[in-house]
Amino acid sequence: MATRAEEFPALLERLRPECEEIIARYEHSRSALLPLIHLFQSHEGYASAEAQRAVADMLALTTAVVESTVSFYTLFFRKPVGKYVLQVCRGLACSINGAEDIMAYFREKLGIGHLETTPDGLFSYEEVECLAACDRATCMQVNLDFVYDLTPQMIDEMLDAMRAGTYSVVPMAQTDKPERTWKVLQDTQVSQGGKSLGAIDQPNPNNGSGVDKDGVIMIDRILAQQPRFEGRTKERLANVEPTITTVLESEDLQ
Amino acid sequence: MPVTKVLTAGIGEANLRDIDVYRQRGGYKQLERAFKTMKSADVLEAADKSGLRGRGGAGFPTGRKWSFLPSNDRPRYLVCNSDEAEPGTFKDHMLLEETPHLVLEGILLGAYGIGSHHAYIYIRGEFMRGAEIFNQAIEQARKAGFVGKNLFGTGYDLEVTVHRGAGAYICGEETALLNSLEGKRGEPRLKPPFPAVAGLYGMPTVVNNVETLAYLVPILEKGAEWFASVGTERSKGYKIISISGHVQKPGNYEVPLGTPVRELIEIAGGLRPGRKLMAIQPGGGSSACIFEEHLDLPYDYESLAKAGTMLGSGAMVVMDDTTDFVRAAHNLARFFAHESCGQCTPCREGGDWLETVLHRLVEGHGLQSDIEMLNRVGHQITGINLCPLGDSIEPFLLSVLKRFPEQFEARVIRETVKA
Amino acid sequence: MDLVTVTIDGVQVQVPKGTLLVEAAKLIKREIPVYCYHTKMGPAGLCRICLVEVEGMPKLQIGCNTACTDGMVVHTQSANAAEGRRSVLEFYLKNHPLDCPICDKGGECDLQDYSMAYGQGFSSSVDPKVPKPKAVDLGPTIVLDEERCVVCQRCVRFDDIIVGERQLVLKDRGVKNIIATATGEAYRHNFTGNVTELCPVGALTSKQYRFKARPWDLRRTTTSCTQCSVGCQMHVDVRHGKAQRTMTVTNDDAISDWWLCDRGRYNINFYDHPRRITQPLYKQNGEWIQVGWDDALQMWATAIAQGVKANPKTVGAIGGGRLTNEEAYLLSHVFRAKGVQNLDWRAGRQRQARPGRGAGKLIDLENVNAIVLIGESPAERAPIMDLRVRKAAFQKNVKLIRVGSYEQPYPPPIPCQDVATVDDAVNALPQNAQRIAVIWDGVDLTLGKTMIEALPQNAQVLTYITGEQPNARGAEAMGMLPQQGGMDTSAMLAAASEGNLAVLSILGANPMLHYPDAQLVRKALENVPFLVVSDLFMTDTAQLATLVLPAKGAFEKSGTTTNLAGDVLPVNAAKSLESPESALTDLEILVGLAQQLGVDLPSVEELDRTVITRLANAPETFTFGDDRYARVASPTLGAPSTQPRPEVSKGQGDTRQGDTALRVVLQSRIFAGGGTSAHDDRLADLRPLPEAAISAQDAADLGVSTGDYIDVVLRAAQDDRSRTIHDLLVEIRSSMPRGVVALIDGLPDDPANCFPEGASVQVSNVRKAHTTMVEVAP
Repeated sequence: MATRAEEFPALLERLRPECEEIIARYEHSRSALLPLIHLFQSHEGYASAEAQRAVADMLALTTAVVESTVSFYTLFFRKPVGKYVLQVCRGLACSINGAEDIMAYFREKLGIGHLETTPDGLFSYEEVECLAACDRATCMQVNLDFVYDLTPQMIDEMLDAMRAGTYSVVPMAQTDKPERTWKVLQDTQVSQGGKSLGAIDQPNPNNGSGVDKDGVIMIDRILAQQPRFEGRTKERLANVEPTITTVLESEDLQ
Repeated sequence: MPVTKVLTAGIGEANLRDIDVYRQRGGYKQLERAFKTMKSADVLEAADKSGLRGRGGAGFPTGRKWSFLPSNDRPRYLVCNSDEAEPGTFKDHMLLEETPHLVLEGILLGAYGIGSHHAYIYIRGEFMRGAEIFNQAIEQARKAGFVGKNLFGTGYDLEVTVHRGAGAYICGEETALLNSLEGKRGEPRLKPPFPAVAGLYGMPTVVNNVETLAYLVPILEKGAEWFASVGTERSKGYKIISISGHVQKPGNYEVPLGTPVRELIEIAGGLRPGRKLMAIQPGGGSSACIFEEHLDLPYDYESLAKAGTMLGSGAMVVMDDTTDFVRAAHNLARFFAHESCGQCTPCREGGDWLETVLHRLVEGHGLQSDIEMLNRVGHQITGINLCPLGDSIEPFLLSVLKRFPEQFEARVIRETVKA
Repeated sequence: MDLVTVTIDGVQVQVPKGTLLVEAAKLIKREIPVYCYHTKMGPAGLCRICLVEVEGMPKLQIGCNTACTDGMVVHTQSANAAEGRRSVLEFYLKNHPLDCPICDKGGECDLQDYSMAYGQGFSSSVDPKVPKPKAVDLGPTIVLDEERCVVCQRCVRFDDIIVGERQLVLKDRGVKNIIATATGEAYRHNFTGNVTELCPVGALTSKQYRFKARPWDLRRTTTSCTQCSVGCQMHVDVRHGKAQRTMTVTNDDAISDWWLCDRGRYNINFYDHPRRITQPLYKQNGEWIQVGWDDALQMWATAIAQGVKANPKTVGAIGGGRLTNEEAYLLSHVFRAKGVQNLDWRAGRQRQARPGRGAGKLIDLENVNAIVLIGESPAERAPIMDLRVRKAAFQKNVKLIRVGSYEQPYPPPIPCQDVATVDDAVNALPQNAQRIAVIWDGVDLTLGKTMIEALPQNAQVLTYITGEQPNARGAEAMGMLPQQGGMDTSAMLAAASEGNLAVLSILGANPMLHYPDAQLVRKALENVPFLVVSDLFMTDTAQLATLVLPAKGAFEKSGTTTNLAGDVLPVNAAKSLESPESALTDLEILVGLAQQLGVDLPSVEELDRTVITRLANAPETFTFGDDRYARVASPTLGAPSTQPRPEVSKGQGDTRQGDTALRVVLQSRIFAGGGTSAHDDRLADLRPLPEAAISAQDAADLGVSTGDYIDVVLRAAQDDRSRTIHDLLVEIRSSMPRGVVALIDGLPDDPANCFPEGASVQVSNVRKAHTTMVEVAP
């Protein structure tokens, strides 16, 4: 079976008339950037690298400019996501009306956390900012369709229906297998040995290949000793506490 | 009860998405009248005389905003701001989906009023359905001859284009919105120049909120005096208030400005039985809280400003005694940190800092120094940013920190560890 | 001009209305700190460090975007302003790694300086810092440390509004903002090094200078760059006897406009190259033997004296374009004193350096109505001039027209109209253009003449010629042109190949690499009984010499140079730079020669005066069609008089001679040419690969695509001097017309001038890209 990347040229040709129609709507072609990415995302399930390059070509921009713009907006997925993107509102009005419990229920039911995709590639879960439906708190969007007044029972029914393929909202196109998260974290650069961007074939100026004697990527090692910005969860903090207590106790004994 | 259905008239009763239904109820009559019998300047005058102020948050007089446009013959643009993302606000969402033709008529009137031949509506990316509905409305209106070339035989061309955002609160700021509309990162622009001089594509541009533009229709219908006769001295007319949180009937309520806060809470069904009011955030996520003692405050721009807060987008979040204010403060700080575009420093670094400290408190691991730090950073972050987002982080936090210090102190478990 | 008076910290200053506060403060030596603001890029309003208090305004204002109005009273040091700045700085340091001990910027870092001046001295944060990638390799020149970055976006804006390449961008949002290039793409254009200077902190550092020195270790000399004919002013910083880096001079508005190209910035590491010539060398029975300077000069002088005695027409000298004005003058002075008239600076494709009447200054390019580029554009020959052209087109609304170019299109933000013919260019001019600049390469005289004559009569025309050699204009003015029946370079080479030249001296030139027919040069030079070459390295020309003299390079000598706009610029020897002990400057060499020959030398004062007088009195008339140029006119174009307006065709007119023959055109690349680039090991990543640019149709005919490798071979049937260049990387370029192949000029390992100019070649031995090597087990 042909891969998504192989099929992309055909998709591009199919969508080209529509792209041209979108570009024609605006006085300046660059304005079409967001709508074009929306269009490709609706067909591929995410804003693929090929799509971003194609949009750059169509609008006479550099790929860097398109990537920069795309990375600013949270609704553009730069990596594949699940067929159902579940975006639960964590805004203030929802939060004081029980959204914390709803979110905890989702996490438990799906077995994944914020910004993660289930291993079967069916669900992607995200806790999003106020969705402007505070009168119907707690609310969420499934593939950008609103679901209001959430209860655990509704969630059960919803997830079952999605698994059974009977849910009313159409699943997103999925042309690539999603990873655990679709966020392009700066950590992924770190995991490439501190190299990124244009640097994949370039030697690291600090230490040859960026790998230390033990084969550990050096920046990974440095970072591993620090709490991560992304992973600041209750569980992790709870783990820190006992260590401190232990130290205190042992000192007391002496 | 002061609830008056002006914009909200017919919502929930008729299918206003259908242009025929909308026209049966008198829709597009004002547009026709404006094009056939009024000059652009007359529309501007009506907007000015009505005392209509921007309903998006800043409350700037609409007529005056339009009057800043230079009188040259460069192309000019009207942009309708429907990037509604202020926490607690859900009025534009409703207008867009429930009465799209009213919004469209307002946009067309506004465009005519400033002499623009191409209007854009920037719809929040999350409102995918709203954008679909609005696109249908435009197509219906085009068929009926209200959008496109040579409207009403006057030779006036007017195009409306829907532009969908893609998930960025900051695009509600008008210059960030223009950048986003130009296909760029939604980063606010340095001012001056202001959009009225150099906005979309460097041309004179007016950016107005959905609700603001929609009010043009009843203002033309019933006259500027009718609108100006309601409300207070400087806060004239009606306003849709989005009331949510711990009330029994949350929703959008259209009332004259100046209605007391107490009355608004009653309209929304009051608090749940047995609960006690603790705080009200009166004007969206960027506003400071008001409390029990402010219940008789008239809900208008001036009175709220005098009480140290603001009317903003007209989003009231009511909080009763079940509210954890540390959590609430963290919730909003996280929101602003997440939505900061990051181009200017105090907001980028300070927002993240506040979020980190508040998160620690929420988790119950607070340090002694944290409360002082919140005060300090909160003050420090304010008044030195390029756009209003950075200044929006502090009001809610500091108001609840001052009011409910015990809730914050309860989370402190450790002496400050200083190296 | 409207003047307004503002009071800054109690000092009144008068400035033109609209002047930004930050610039007004500079006039009275008050510092308003900035990170994102840059004089050449204007305000961005992002860094918020420039807060000042303006009386009558409730909030602190940013000095970078506040225009001075009459009567404005400003306090930069008031308690309020200081508090604002302190706040902003605390935010800056919140996530800054404070790794100053290993940071290249340490000692000249704005974050350090402002923290000392305005900071509070401690951080109230107890939280971990946001980790970001460190030592990110952005490309061949730049390393990025995301943690140190203060997101001022100067580099991003430089790439956007100054260069127009838009390769560096901001990615992500909020506190996770990072500077990045497109995924998988390297940061690579001709001006990348400038971002290291723009960066107010140590986020963007230069690979060359990484971990090399602290600013206080460096010995600084200000000089002019002599890598090309623009002559940018720059600082050379030396430590351990080695040039460690070059920096822009930030008041040089006239020439460099505060920027440096990467060649000027990075090609500085050849002075201590092991292959540098350190002793005079004499070729005896095919073997090089080291000789002393006295012997060398004596041999040379004897050869000249004997040659002149026999017949002065059998003696000649080539050079001067790479020398200083003083050296070029002395070169012509010494030889003319002995009656030698065979003198010429030209050693490559360029025929003319002096633009004649209508010579423009670089800064004038911003104030014309249109710029017409003809021949090779300044993009690769005079990069900083190219940057000025981009500025004119992008920021000053100057119409940019490129005629018949085979080069890459300008990046999209730079509006440039590509036209095919001279007539199209004239038609593309804006209505009523009063001032028109023409930039050409001085190669094809007919073309330049045709273009300039075709322009509207009533318009003021400014002419610029981008030189192959940095001091071509100076050499011309100093008399390095044949006079009184003397031979020019091509005549000398022709005479030499017939065995009619006895002594030839080549100073600072490498015709084997640059003259458009290396075969002819080889034949000629091999037939010169006594060939003297002074150079830094054993170039192909030096290999053919009888006597090789170790010369000094630009950082090792003092004098003046003349740039393409006729500006006379100082060249200063870099202080404490170490040179090979026995190397001498060409001035010293020529003085030694003069002494041996018994030629009277001017005193130092006389030399200076003569140089200046000659430059001042240089004849400012057009010299097109002049006899002394006519003889070297391009062989493909024929005599200028018979072809009044040659078609510079583009995409039309198949010039092929049947089958698959292609006509060769040569193109400059900034990192291609010359010994200095070839002997700079740190430039390895920047040197271009030998490539062949062809049109899409030809590529289809030949069955090749971009990324394939081909060999190019001279059509043997047409010419028996059959030569081949191997392993050329194919590039399909939209601007190439059918039947033409563009090769890079001046690559020492693959000299494209092995074909005569305009030669017809054939493609052979096509190898597809990404062919897999299959290893077969025995």
